[in-house]
Amino acid sequence: MRLRLLLTAALVAPSAITARAADAPIANTPIPQVIDRYIDAAITEAGVTPAGQADDATLIRRLTLDLVGRIPTTREVDEYVASTDADKRAKLVDRLIASPGFARHQAALFEAMFNPEGNNRGSGGFRQYMTDAVRENKPWNRIFREVVVPDEADAKLKGAAEFIRGRLSDADKLTNDVSVAFFGVNVSCAQCHNHPLVTDWTQDHFYGMKMFVARTFDAGAFLGERGYGSIKYKPTKGPERTAKMMFLTGAVVEDPGKEPTADEQKKEKEALEKAKAAKTAPPAPKFSARAKLVEVALKDANAEFFAKNIVNRMWHRYFGSGFVNPLDQMHSENPPSHPELLAWLARDVAANGYDLKRLTRGLVLSKAYSRSSKYDSNPPDSKLFAVARLKPMTPNQLATSLKIAATDPAAFDGKKPDELEKMYEQAESSASGFARLIAQPTENFQIGVGEALLFSNGERVLKEFLTDGGNSALARTKAMKAPAEVAAFLVKTAYGRSATSDEVKAITTYVEKRKGREADAYRQVLWALVTGPEFRFSY
Amino acid sequence: MPAKRTFCGSPEHAVNRRAFLGAAGAAGATLAADMTQLDALASPAVNDALKKTQKRVILLWLAGGASQLETWDPKPGAPTGGPFRAIKTDVPGVAISELMPKMAQRMKHTCILRGLDTKNGDHGSAAVTMMRGRRNEAAIRYPDLGAVLAREMGRPDSKVPDYVSFYTQTEGRSMAPGDAGFLGARYAPMDLTTNNVPDFIRRLADITDLDHKERSDLRDVLGKQFAAGRHSETLGSQNEAYERVRGLMSSEKLFDVTQEPQKVRDRYGPGQFAEQTLIARRLVEAGVPFVRVGRAWWDSHGQNFETHQEMVPELDHVMATLIDDLKDRGMLDDVMIVTLSEFGRTPAINASLGRDHFASAWSSTITGCGIKGGSVYGKTDANGNKVVAEHVDAGSLFATIYEALGINPEKNYYYGSRPIPLVNPGIEPIKAVLK
Repeated sequence: MRLRLLLTAALVAPSAITARAADAPIANTPIPQVIDRYIDAAITEAGVTPAGQADDATLIRRLTLDLVGRIPTTREVDEYVASTDADKRAKLVDRLIASPGFARHQAALFEAMFNPEGNNRGSGGFRQYMTDAVRENKPWNRIFREVVVPDEADAKLKGAAEFIRGRLSDADKLTNDVSVAFFGVNVSCAQCHNHPLVTDWTQDHFYGMKMFVARTFDAGAFLGERGYGSIKYKPTKGPERTAKMMFLTGAVVEDPGKEPTADEQKKEKEALEKAKAAKTAPPAPKFSARAKLVEVALKDANAEFFAKNIVNRMWHRYFGSGFVNPLDQMHSENPPSHPELLAWLARDVAANGYDLKRLTRGLVLSKAYSRSSKYDSNPPDSKLFAVARLKPMTPNQLATSLKIAATDPAAFDGKKPDELEKMYEQAESSASGFARLIAQPTENFQIGVGEALLFSNGERVLKEFLTDGGNSALARTKAMKAPAEVAAFLVKTAYGRSATSDEVKAITTYVEKRKGREADAYRQVLWALVTGPEFRFSY
Repeated sequence: MPAKRTFCGSPEHAVNRRAFLGAAGAAGATLAADMTQLDALASPAVNDALKKTQKRVILLWLAGGASQLETWDPKPGAPTGGPFRAIKTDVPGVAISELMPKMAQRMKHTCILRGLDTKNGDHGSAAVTMMRGRRNEAAIRYPDLGAVLAREMGRPDSKVPDYVSFYTQTEGRSMAPGDAGFLGARYAPMDLTTNNVPDFIRRLADITDLDHKERSDLRDVLGKQFAAGRHSETLGSQNEAYERVRGLMSSEKLFDVTQEPQKVRDRYGPGQFAEQTLIARRLVEAGVPFVRVGRAWWDSHGQNFETHQEMVPELDHVMATLIDDLKDRGMLDDVMIVTLSEFGRTPAINASLGRDHFASAWSSTITGCGIKGGSVYGKTDANGNKVVAEHVDAGSLFATIYEALGINPEKNYYYGSRPIPLVNPGIEPIKAVLK
């Protein structure tokens, strides 16, 4: 089978590392160096000039948005730009990754990743679980186990069960969503027929994967799982088949599950009733297919899907595009842009206990990450990562950043780090209602006119972000005399950088036309700044 | 590099599509500038120009499930027939319920599909299916009819919305929201759920119109500096969205039924359904590709006959008036009227003199726009329990609608790398009802 050949060619096992080429970087080379080596090699080979490195103000904005989900305060920007510490970038990254905002923001991204349709969020338990998991830096393989084989008796882990719970009524969806989230493989095409274009996916794969999850049921307060249960399906050709329990690689699992006798069935029912009455978890099956899925998926060469998927997704998170796009189409007909780098990173993350903080740190410290998003001539193929991509903000990033931009920067002065963290958290939670009005970016995302109308005419925008009371940025402008001073101040507040002379001129002209109504004018200027593309995107 | 084309999200596509739309819409572009000047539309020349540009659809969504037996497929005298008679229509051999005397005089414009067999009697999921022409799949949320038409027929520079959905009554509203599915926010409907004025279309009181406009100009000026040297489709979509704001705001008066001459308002009659249908006509006239007018409270588990006695004449009057109005304006060849529900109602009459959910043999109609008026497709048995000839499912209904509008039903969208045809593979339009 074609897929297996491909897999063997780039085996996960760390010992196979020298298999490909003598010049492959060794295992303990720092991640950023390896990234830059492969990315730069491809750029050179393509004969392309990459964009230069982004300036410090741009970089801290990008890092702060990517890691903790908000724009930096002007104070953070100024301190970073002024610092002459050669190690300032790594220190910034470490500070952000260690902050509570990192756990909250990454958890929100994981929640959106697990629920790409955005419409089946649970009670908030899953978000809480992910927040704790990110804060504790739980290894990704452990998160996998806790989501797929949840321990609902443990209050701290219960939230993880919501992923399965939300899909209990639809085993096909559960099958596909598990496969998409953890292996980057959308097998839904193969539900009805063998994939027409991709030889990797046959109906056997879809129903093989379904065998792992379909024995799950709702047992009241707890999820239950039967130790038996078969699936029959009608292939497009030939007679009906009984599904084998089979992983994506074709690895078949011995299934000891036998249909129970009438007597066993009765006993099972009684045990279930008893557990229900006692409000305890139903008896676990002797053979748990879900637990088996976790075991098989992480075993030896099978783990390549699991490791490559998380690397591809994390790369996408920070670079705005994956090595493989779309993220759920990892198969032999859709090769990665940088196969060796993807394989190296997958090996590295597996060899280092699926430590996502370590991986994140490695990604964002690369030169590839810190390129400018500006390219004045025709841009090179985006697959080369020679120019940074614009990333539309997520609803949380946008709403929280609006809160920060609307606040008088002086409000953040003279605060201790934990007081600042409280302020950021406060900004985030007070913005969460507005965030729900914004669309979650998806692949090939297009901003709809609904958003432009909301910002143009929505009362909430005015009341939540453009007030001039308290410690707002607009309140601060009241004491300023010259429109040019206000222009510079507002540009700095919104964009974290100095205003250009053209901007000062355009804003001053706008304000001078509104003599005697300066307060209105400044509010409108702030509106024009925060609705602009420079605010809407991470760039 | 990939030998087979398994991915199709390249920016070139979007650019080409825009360029294409720009060119195809050139005739319409000048018109678009005046779209909201309704006076201009009174001139037949403008309507001729509109005719050349695009087709449009008004969907009368009879939420809760209207009874086919009290509308399009009466069974007088049968044990399941109920108290109402059937009456002759202007099409020889075609009879409909006596509750629809006005439509009976206009059946030559309308095609009845009597053989709908859609398998799903659950309000929520059936509404999802009947708005999309298919069930959502495990991993795919399909765009609904409005979103597809918004994408196929909307223009990027349009000063009117691409997809408007009225659903002001509460029953079943949450079950059938307009939904762009995987097409995303760009094609999401402008939803009107509380009144007839869209959200955020009206300027807030504390900014003058001039400030509102110049503020927007300032945004453009400041944004240009950022956009220079940056290449992103999403960036383009944001600017496109903001560029449309002022035009859309000026379309507010399209939603204002009082702008319509009293004579016309009187023709449509009183009531929300009539008003919204008149607004729908104003919208399609101005170039909106798709308008849904939701009319709820058809879910007559009890007192089915009283319910239909009250509601069918309203449908009859409003639909007949809409047909006349479009015809008078020379628009009936370009605007399609569809009546559809999530399902029909059981022939069996229950103990509360109601009819329950029934998806095995029910009716829908299509009027205008490339559909053979006066045709009837599908036949149910004597009691209306099952379809005995010319079955129609959700897919073939949608394929027929697309075909009549000049859209190839086999056209693919791409969800990631996966090609998604507008209707599921193998599904054919009903040739017999197409002109």
